[in-house]
Amino acid sequence: MSKKISRRSVVNGGLTMAALSSLPMPRMAFAASEEERIIAAAKATSGTDLKGMIWSNYYVAMKPTNAPFKQGAGYDVGSIQDISVFSIPQRAMAEAITRSPEFDFFHLDSNMIPSLASAGLLEPLDPYMEKAGFKLNAVGNFGNFMKYKGNTYGIVTDGNVHVHMCRKDMMENPEEQKGFEDKHGKKMAYPETWEDDQRLMEWFHRPDKGIWSSGNLRNRPNGVTWWYMYFYSAGGFPFDDDMNPTLNTPAGNYAVEVYLNMKKVSHPEAPGWGTPQMIPRIASGKIYSCQYWDGAIGLNENPKKSKTAGKYIYGTVPGSDFSGKRMHRSISSPVAAILVNRYSKNKERAAYMAMWWATQKNSETIVGDNVNTFHDPWHVAHFKSDKVYQTYKAGLPAINSCLQVASPPIYLTGLLEFQDQLAKNLSEAYVGQRKAKDVLPETEKAWKKIVRKIGKKKLKAELASYKALFPKVNVPS
Amino acid sequence: MLPFPGSALSVVQDMNSSPMTNTQGSPKSRPRQLVHARAVRRFKWSVLSVLIVVLVAVLFPVLMLQLYFSFHGYSPYGGSWWDAEFVGLELFEEVVTDPRLGWAIIRSLLFATGSTIGCFVIGFGLALLMYRPFRGQAFYYILFILPMLTVPIVIAYTGEMLLYQKGPVNDLLSSILGRQVNILWLANADTALLTVMVLEVWNWVPFSFIIMMAGLAALPDEPIEAAKILGASKWRVFVEIQLPLLRPVIVLALILRFLEAIAEFPKAWSLFQGGPGSATETIPTYLYIVTWQYFEISKGAAMSYVVLLIMVAIVLLAIQILRREKMGLDQIYDSRKETTA
Repeated sequence: MSKKISRRSVVNGGLTMAALSSLPMPRMAFAASEEERIIAAAKATSGTDLKGMIWSNYYVAMKPTNAPFKQGAGYDVGSIQDISVFSIPQRAMAEAITRSPEFDFFHLDSNMIPSLASAGLLEPLDPYMEKAGFKLNAVGNFGNFMKYKGNTYGIVTDGNVHVHMCRKDMMENPEEQKGFEDKHGKKMAYPETWEDDQRLMEWFHRPDKGIWSSGNLRNRPNGVTWWYMYFYSAGGFPFDDDMNPTLNTPAGNYAVEVYLNMKKVSHPEAPGWGTPQMIPRIASGKIYSCQYWDGAIGLNENPKKSKTAGKYIYGTVPGSDFSGKRMHRSISSPVAAILVNRYSKNKERAAYMAMWWATQKNSETIVGDNVNTFHDPWHVAHFKSDKVYQTYKAGLPAINSCLQVASPPIYLTGLLEFQDQLAKNLSEAYVGQRKAKDVLPETEKAWKKIVRKIGKKKLKAELASYKALFPKVNVPS
Repeated sequence: MLPFPGSALSVVQDMNSSPMTNTQGSPKSRPRQLVHARAVRRFKWSVLSVLIVVLVAVLFPVLMLQLYFSFHGYSPYGGSWWDAEFVGLELFEEVVTDPRLGWAIIRSLLFATGSTIGCFVIGFGLALLMYRPFRGQAFYYILFILPMLTVPIVIAYTGEMLLYQKGPVNDLLSSILGRQVNILWLANADTALLTVMVLEVWNWVPFSFIIMMAGLAALPDEPIEAAKILGASKWRVFVEIQLPLLRPVIVLALILRFLEAIAEFPKAWSLFQGGPGSATETIPTYLYIVTWQYFEISKGAAMSYVVLLIMVAIVLLAIQILRREKMGLDQIYDSRKETTA
């Protein structure tokens, strides 16, 4: 059926379109891709190439995505200062103290956001994100790790989260299953709680065969990361609403007990071992299980680099029934993210560069790099991506579930100080320099001083940001 | 140590009292000596003035800034440092009553003493073996000073590889002792400081070696030869002639090494970061933790000053010892002059 179109209706339609087009509407609103919107926003800025403080182990996977950005926006990263991600917090703080415009961005643990924002170093990124129509599309509550007091201060590049891994090949052995069932009166199964995990680790502990069951770290700088998981899953939170430390509580002591109990199944050199020593043991099959940063999955599943490809089961970290309800809490520390220097003349340009690395397409390239596996999945789309799957294989769903219950360390100004006091006392207890019962009272004493020094009022105002990072679910779907 | 009557060292005095060794110069050479003295004075001032300029331009502002921080409660979270609140001696009080610093000082003193003795004994031993020319001496000389030219971080990581429980060092000890040795060099709170000490000794033996080589090479041959002619054994020559004459050099080697060892940071930090527990939390490590992990810049500055005072006290004591040693030697040479006169 044809419909007659009058000349008047054509003229009216044209006028309406003309009127609509003159309305102030966001320039990039119409269907341009994420990348196009960022480039359009970046192109409108002026300045120089960027200078960043970033560890080359991370940057090497990001660099290949720069060329199209340079082509479109006219700039990219001109130079970097190559420093380990563990040393950048100190260097960034030095930049904050001197209010230096030297670096345009820093790539470091986003858990430092409260400290660095309090020191005045960080630029809030929300206005730039709005201009570019960019959103962090992270799994679960993970996007909140970039926020502090309502502002976004970071763009994530690496979804670091602890994932549980245990040896499928050992657990599927019928003799082991029978022996375990005879001893414990229950079937051998994937550990749901820390107690299950301990039982399994003790069962598979075979030092005479070179297998020390636990691959969890117990050195001073890293061991504390595991303690948080035990503590949070037991329903603990380290401060009350008035910023009094609440470590020396049943949940805190439970966590210390779980932490120290693992000594029975850990390698005697564990108090001195960090990732460089533990990763080779994990990938060579000299452990039974551990909770470890998800990047280890990429290595385990790479048959060229590991003896354990296909031998691990990956899943949600064990939880606890201590609080009366089953709760799983993984830990995300460090979460490597791009933070922009407020004193930089290129801060807007740096913000767009950071967004560029975090788009679905580019982050897939970065995270999917199966050689430089420093960046781990975090974007919703990573869990549907073939490229990312090729790197993480069977571990990918586990990363997703652990991200859903990811928790932060002390997400407050003074993170490193709070954390080191606890880490020192835990490590002292682990090596026998301190009684276990003194760990938490002594840490509380030290923490009270820190709270006084930084300011109770200030820290109380940060508590909401800290709490907002916690997962909304206790058991991941 | 001064020579006792009849000791071989008294031979030194007799030998040195020979008119052949008189360096007083004749009246004719006095104008030349004056010119020489003036040139030396000019050279001294040209070197000193540069040092003074560097001190005033670089060190002084830093020390002043540190002093400012020590008296002001600056926190990076509380605005700019020039607006920091004046807190008087509060930070110094906090520092001197901090038990962690007390333990750090004890660990540092233990570490410095142990590693200084280790470096000296081995360095001196090597120097005694090496100071007389022999074929291939230069090769061994280069070989022995290599550790000192190696970057401390590299030493730390190499040491780590060697010192694992199932590493080559324990293997070697096992084969020497004929039983399984399982020392936890890197994970035991009781041995961690010793591990850093061992690496420090390996790193800095060449320092003591070079100083002692120079000291031994500068010893006059005549008293030693004379003592030998008089029938003194090698041991007696060493104990009664060489050692007393070397005492100022020995003291210097010990003091310089001790001061350097107190400041050791890279190996302890890269291997242990203060752990296991707090076993390797020495002064520099704790200072770093306070300043650059806790970001307590002001407390770190006050702590630096307290440590500086301790170091100045050690240096003054060292100067006193050196002066006494020099006086001891001067006495020997003065008695020689008197005999000559």
